[in-house]
Amino acid sequence: MEALTANFPAEDFGLIAIVLLAPLIGAFVNGIFGKRLGKDAVRLMALAALGTSFLASLVSFIVLATGHHEKLRWVAWRWIELGGRGGRVIPLDVAFGVDAMTATMMLVVTGVGFLIHLYSSEYMWKDPGYHRFFAYLNLFCFAMLTLIMGDNLAVLFVGWEGVGLCSYLLIGFWYDNEKYASAGKKAFIVNRVGDFGLLVAMAGLVYFAGTLSWDQLNASTTSLMVPVTVWPIGNIPTEQVWDAQHAATSMWPAWLAHIFLPETPYQIYAATLIALATFLGCAGKSAQMPLYVWLPDAMAGPTPVSALIHAATMVTAGVYLVARMSAVFVLSPAAMAVVAVTGAFTAVFAASMGLFQKDLKKVLAYSTVSQLGFMFIGVGTGAFISGFFHVFTHAFFKACLFLGAGSVIHAMHVRIHDTDASQDMNHMGGLKKYMPITHWTFLLSCLAIAGVPGFSGFFSKDEILWKAFSEAVTTPQMKGAWAWPGWLGPAIYVAGILGATMTAFYMFRAYFMTFHGEFKGWTIVEGWVDPAPHAAGHHDTEDEAHGHDLSGDADHGAHAHAKVAHGDDAHGDADAHDDHHDHEYGVGKIEGPVPHESPLAMTIPLMVLAAFAVFGGFLGATPLHIEPLVHFLEPVFERADALVNPRGGIEPHGGLMWLMMAPGVAAAVVGIGAAYKIYFLDHGAGEAAFKKSFPGLYQLLFDRWRIDELYDATVVGMLDALADIFTMADKWIIDGIIARLSALVVGAAGSLLRLFHTGRVQVYAASMAIGIAGIGFFMARPHAAVQVQDEFLKQTGEVVLLAAPGLGYSYQWTGVTKTGESTDTFATKREQRVVVAQNETREIVVRVRNAFGMESETKVSLTRKGPAGPTANTPAGGAPQIVPKPALAPKVQRPAGVHGDQP
Amino acid sequence: MSHAVPLQYYLVVAGVLFTTGTVGFLLRRNLLVLLMSIELMLNAVNLTLVAFNRVHQANHDGQLFSFFIIVVAAAEAAVGLAIVLAFFRVRRSVRSDDADLLRN
Repeated sequence: MEALTANFPAEDFGLIAIVLLAPLIGAFVNGIFGKRLGKDAVRLMALAALGTSFLASLVSFIVLATGHHEKLRWVAWRWIELGGRGGRVIPLDVAFGVDAMTATMMLVVTGVGFLIHLYSSEYMWKDPGYHRFFAYLNLFCFAMLTLIMGDNLAVLFVGWEGVGLCSYLLIGFWYDNEKYASAGKKAFIVNRVGDFGLLVAMAGLVYFAGTLSWDQLNASTTSLMVPVTVWPIGNIPTEQVWDAQHAATSMWPAWLAHIFLPETPYQIYAATLIALATFLGCAGKSAQMPLYVWLPDAMAGPTPVSALIHAATMVTAGVYLVARMSAVFVLSPAAMAVVAVTGAFTAVFAASMGLFQKDLKKVLAYSTVSQLGFMFIGVGTGAFISGFFHVFTHAFFKACLFLGAGSVIHAMHVRIHDTDASQDMNHMGGLKKYMPITHWTFLLSCLAIAGVPGFSGFFSKDEILWKAFSEAVTTPQMKGAWAWPGWLGPAIYVAGILGATMTAFYMFRAYFMTFHGEFKGWTIVEGWVDPAPHAAGHHDTEDEAHGHDLSGDADHGAHAHAKVAHGDDAHGDADAHDDHHDHEYGVGKIEGPVPHESPLAMTIPLMVLAAFAVFGGFLGATPLHIEPLVHFLEPVFERADALVNPRGGIEPHGGLMWLMMAPGVAAAVVGIGAAYKIYFLDHGAGEAAFKKSFPGLYQLLFDRWRIDELYDATVVGMLDALADIFTMADKWIIDGIIARLSALVVGAAGSLLRLFHTGRVQVYAASMAIGIAGIGFFMARPHAAVQVQDEFLKQTGEVVLLAAPGLGYSYQWTGVTKTGESTDTFATKREQRVVVAQNETREIVVRVRNAFGMESETKVSLTRKGPAGPTANTPAGGAPQIVPKPALAPKVQRPAGVHGDQP
Repeated sequence: MSHAVPLQYYLVVAGVLFTTGTVGFLLRRNLLVLLMSIELMLNAVNLTLVAFNRVHQANHDGQLFSFFIIVVAAAEAAVGLAIVLAFFRVRRSVRSDDADLLRN
């Protein structure tokens, strides 16, 4: 311990670098060399990277928990310096900090991450993209750690985008399936919408607060209490124009114009703007209404990915960010209310979508969206610790549920190779006796998520609902409509109870359908042997350990591979094997072996996670006053908590708390009881009856309220229409005019020029000979030409004549001197200087003789006008004269006309 | 050198040679004859150069140039004959009219 603190002082805590770099090195090695290293080495590298990271995180946690530091810091380098308002310099460092919340998150990310890596090392064993998978997974852990450890919003944003990238890569991991690839794109694009908000928030913080670092942000929140003027739609005088033009018309269109095109702007505090913009980013990342649509589709990725990224870690980043910026959020009760209401609405709405799903992973996906809603209820009502505590417990039980589902799907894939069919709960049932470990861990996690007292989910969820009910955000500056409404807490409480009831129901519906009743996947035959061993080419000695099973996803990979390399014998077999029982699953339709439990590498993570799902709650069991984690986290939210207080007259730990716990427990009991009655005792008869009585509502719930269809009809439809317009422009303007027209011009020129290209060498030679003869004839004749330099003709009368040069030329000049005689002889002097007197015209003749004695001549006429007439006629003295018309002057003073003649 | 053959005689011979070469190049279709016609033209130029050099004895540009031309002509003949040979392998012909693979 002494040595640790000596080597890693709190202000320069280099251990952070190890936490961060280990997964990055893992990603690098597996990504670049993974294919050559082989699967064993890839597994070792990935697990070692995460293991190192986990151990370093654990050490950091211990140092922080036992030391007297509020935060451990490490600055990698200074990144950017910005000029802020008032000439301030705003430094942005690549800085990392570990406080209580980060330390807890680090343990979750690396700990759960390690377990899921261990699980995947078995689950993905048959996949041809094994090294790619682990490279992405390690890269994800690096990005996630950057996100949570970044000490300012800019570094967080780097991690934020990094996890988005990895999420995209892993959702579309089997990119040759178009459905999966587009699910990845959907996740990326929907997240972009949210990221826009985060960028706006970042710009706002730089402008108003002049800092992005968490510490300074918490300390300088007063700078955010400045008013901002916002015109939500358009700052145009629509109201006046409308009122003037439509004075006589009825009221409602005018009212509409006033609502949608307001002329008077809204005055809001910068804190509200920034908090709302931040929340837009959080809603995208954490799948809240209306940006949740990507998360259910994200289940296209391998199941461990769903567990790690889309349940335990990445999707909670939004909650983490709201909690991290709690000091900013509490300044604006209105923004907090938006967060809480969005959370409550999402919690109920997503839970209702999960009620009748038949796909096991889809149930868990909607459950995740719903649980994220609960977390936002927590951070939105000011119960930051409770919200964050739910992140913590949810990470364990939801990861356990997903991995359990993966284990079941793994077992189903022995005979059902179609991805959708293998996840269909109608093909499962009765797995309790075949998969005891999966069954028990799944049951314990279900009890936790349902909120059965004593389990972890109970403590976190109940605390959220109690805080939502009992507390209010009391920011002194916020008055009237911007203050925290008193009725909101109880309303959210009721919505939360409703959501919790549905959660308990659908989770136990899934549990009973999967593990109880009769097995419905295939007819079980003892000692059944696969007549055509699946993907035989991949079997090696290792396979004996896990029998003839294939992980579903790995199987899919082999499938896709088979499409590419059809010549390969093993894959050819696999294809043929699949063909004869496509879409024909169920008892009596196909035969198969006894379903089996998953290997140890998959069940150990299940057991560890289940243990945390059961006992994790006692780290924050507030009603029992066993709350070490809560006390550990308290300093982080000290400033924010100061503005969150119990509503009038409610005692924080009084009798009312125990009373309000009853509906929560009742919700769990009612939900579980209903599921037990319908799916265990009646074997689903109730659901069928409900379907018969309310076919419309059932279908609507099954179709997830058709929100995806609504998006398709509006946003996607509009984009498609826009794309169509651009396509037309591309087709007609770019292709039609530019490409076709220029092709036509070039083509026409080509067909003209083609006439000259006969392909006969002699024709070319003849044209060359004629051309050379022509040039030769021209060159052999003398050509007289004179260049006249007459700039000084007007002033001094001096003109320089320069005869054109030529091979063997000699020149004879006539008229150069005043008397006008010729120079007589031909000389090589090309240049002559002539002085022209006023009012004189000089004719100069140049004769040129070439080497063959041929002659040629040219004539140059130089004229120099005398002084202007009116000037000469000006009478001397006397009264002022009429000034000569200016129009005349230029005419008189125009330079002498010069022209040369060619012979 | 006063008794030497006058310059004009050389030029006339060179002119006749050059014209023969040109006419031969333009009118004949046999690739080998074409190559020989080119040689004739080059030699006519060579003759002109050395004849002029004889008049201007002070410098040797004309002789120097004729050496260059001889070297280039040798290279040209080698390449030209190689092309003719390759062409013959493809078309079984040495007529320039048959070099029409790029047409249509």
